[in-house]
Amino acid sequence: MIHEIAAQLDNGISALQTLLYIDVVQPIFYRFGLMGYDEDTYDALYWVIVGVLEILVTYLALRPLEALRPAEVWSDRKALRADVIYTWIAKLGIINIAFFFMLQPLFDHWQSLMALYDVPNIDIDGIWPGVTDQPIVSFLIYLIVLDFAGYWYHRWQHRFGVWWELHAVHHSQQQMSLWADDRNHFLDDIIQAAFFAAISLFVGVQPVQFVVLVAVGNFMQSVQHVNARLPYGWLLERTIVSPIFHRRHHAIGYGHEGTRYGCNFGVLFPWWDMMFGTVAWNHTIEPTGIRDQLPTPNGVGRGYGNGLWAQQWYAFGRIVERLRGRRLYEDRG
Amino acid sequence: MLVPLSVSTKKIRLIGAALLCFSLSWANLSHADGRVIVLDSGEAALTLIDQTTHKIVGTQPTGKEPHHLMITPDGRSLIVANSVSNDLMFLDPQTGKVQRRVEDIEDPYQLGFSPDHHWFVTAALRMNRVDIYHYDGQNFTLAKRIPLEKTPSHLTFASDNRTVFVTLQDSGELAAIDLPTQTLLWRMPVGKEPAGLWMTPGDRDVLVGMTGEDDVAVVDWHKQQIVKKIQTGRGAHNFRNLDDGMHVAVSNRVESTISIVDYNSLQKVGDITGLLPGPDDMELSADRRYLWVTFRFAKHVGIIDLTTRKLIDTIAVGRSPHGLYFADRAPVSAPNPD
Repeated sequence: MIHEIAAQLDNGISALQTLLYIDVVQPIFYRFGLMGYDEDTYDALYWVIVGVLEILVTYLALRPLEALRPAEVWSDRKALRADVIYTWIAKLGIINIAFFFMLQPLFDHWQSLMALYDVPNIDIDGIWPGVTDQPIVSFLIYLIVLDFAGYWYHRWQHRFGVWWELHAVHHSQQQMSLWADDRNHFLDDIIQAAFFAAISLFVGVQPVQFVVLVAVGNFMQSVQHVNARLPYGWLLERTIVSPIFHRRHHAIGYGHEGTRYGCNFGVLFPWWDMMFGTVAWNHTIEPTGIRDQLPTPNGVGRGYGNGLWAQQWYAFGRIVERLRGRRLYEDRG
Repeated sequence: MLVPLSVSTKKIRLIGAALLCFSLSWANLSHADGRVIVLDSGEAALTLIDQTTHKIVGTQPTGKEPHHLMITPDGRSLIVANSVSNDLMFLDPQTGKVQRRVEDIEDPYQLGFSPDHHWFVTAALRMNRVDIYHYDGQNFTLAKRIPLEKTPSHLTFASDNRTVFVTLQDSGELAAIDLPTQTLLWRMPVGKEPAGLWMTPGDRDVLVGMTGEDDVAVVDWHKQQIVKKIQTGRGAHNFRNLDDGMHVAVSNRVESTISIVDYNSLQKVGDITGLLPGPDDMELSADRRYLWVTFRFAKHVGIIDLTTRKLIDTIAVGRSPHGLYFADRAPVSAPNPD
């Protein structure tokens, strides 16, 4: 039943992909001599359509919950406008395109060098022939391995000052919502893509044919940021990251304090926090954001930018301050 | 006693007819058992289709991004080249059952054996490299990796077993490599996005499918000159000889047609239209009647009746179907690789 629904959905998306590609994209590429990107673009278009559907499904599923069972009540939703733009940029694959042109050739070259110089790597698919090369098995292994890597990436975002200033774009949200997940500094997005591409050099490339599972993973991350009280229960909360678990991570002074303290770093699974002693199960809802955004005396009323470009640009200003040794607010927290 | 000659002849004819019926039914049976193997490059899988009934009989996992495939020189194995998994998968060409895997063949996007089967060559499109291996009938021993920008994609050979030709998609060139010394002989510009290659009989010319144009470039490789451009259709991409000593089919991936080119007169003699989007690799049935084709941008394989030049059936397969093969096929004319 589920398989049949997924197959029908896939057929529908594929039909739309073919229609858009043949009638819109390919003629343009042919006209401007871009046929070298013919196949990659066709494949990418599938993910663009999936991204648009993800946004629609996420909105339709989560927006009513935000209205009915809000974790926080806001006077308006203006602050979310930039987050909506971030979401579209991410889901339309614009960051991926940037990575493809800027860094993918470099990673391909490194892979080549690794082969030439016999640098050892573990190909997850080949660990146990007959088992780990089964697509669904390899997908699940990659999911867990990459989530583990994601946990550490997230910890380092909070640990190293310059990196934190980039990640602060994400944490400066004082109204967490279904749109919040993709609000990141673009440089951080590129670094993250490079981080996972580097891992793939050593463990192989994640299979991408499990579109539904990938889409569910993205949906789960949107759910984590939703402004709604959702009853997960003891077991589910310890199986996947829940909104209350992740909200705790965003809570000023409780979930993070600049580079000084942090908890609940898990991306999809809370297991890593449980394993490495960074878990907090407290369900109290606290204000989210960054301490120096708060007005005095709790903070300094610092602006992190209301619009997308201001948020991107201010991050560089904070990095300069930090490099000059003038950015030590978290020590006063 | 002498047996009347007429009776004897009649008996022999009867026995002969019986044998013929048996052999025909056996042939039909083996034909019915034949599997068409289609690489679903976007799904890390292959689809098995009954060649006679056109029904899907199964799918099975491959490595990541299987693009091209070819039969081993002894005909016992079908090699599937998994470009992102960096390995070769050997299958039973009749059933698709996995026989073995050869690891550490980097980015084998396209592959080919030299006509004498001593050399095995892969075009590593992602890695901008051509890798040359010695082949002893079983094992592949790396002879040399030759950096060759940008995006080497398709291969063909000269009959002397010395030269392999490679299209460089993004730099718009054709390159020639000397196999015994594994050195680059030359490279020459041919136009926008060269892809498939086909050597005409007698090694006269190399035909180059120009995917960024609407033509096939005819290259006199001895002089390194383009002698003609045959207009076929937008996105000319790949070739399959029709085994009639005269014609080769050219898939036009943007126009979504297949052109028939007379390789003696170097003229287009017809088009097959009414196809699905993105015709790519082709394979010809042994009776030379049915041309199978993968439709890259439509998740389908199609069967064209060459007597009417009409698409007579389509079969839904996985995402981005690319290479296809069946054992009961017309021969690929040497020195072109399978």
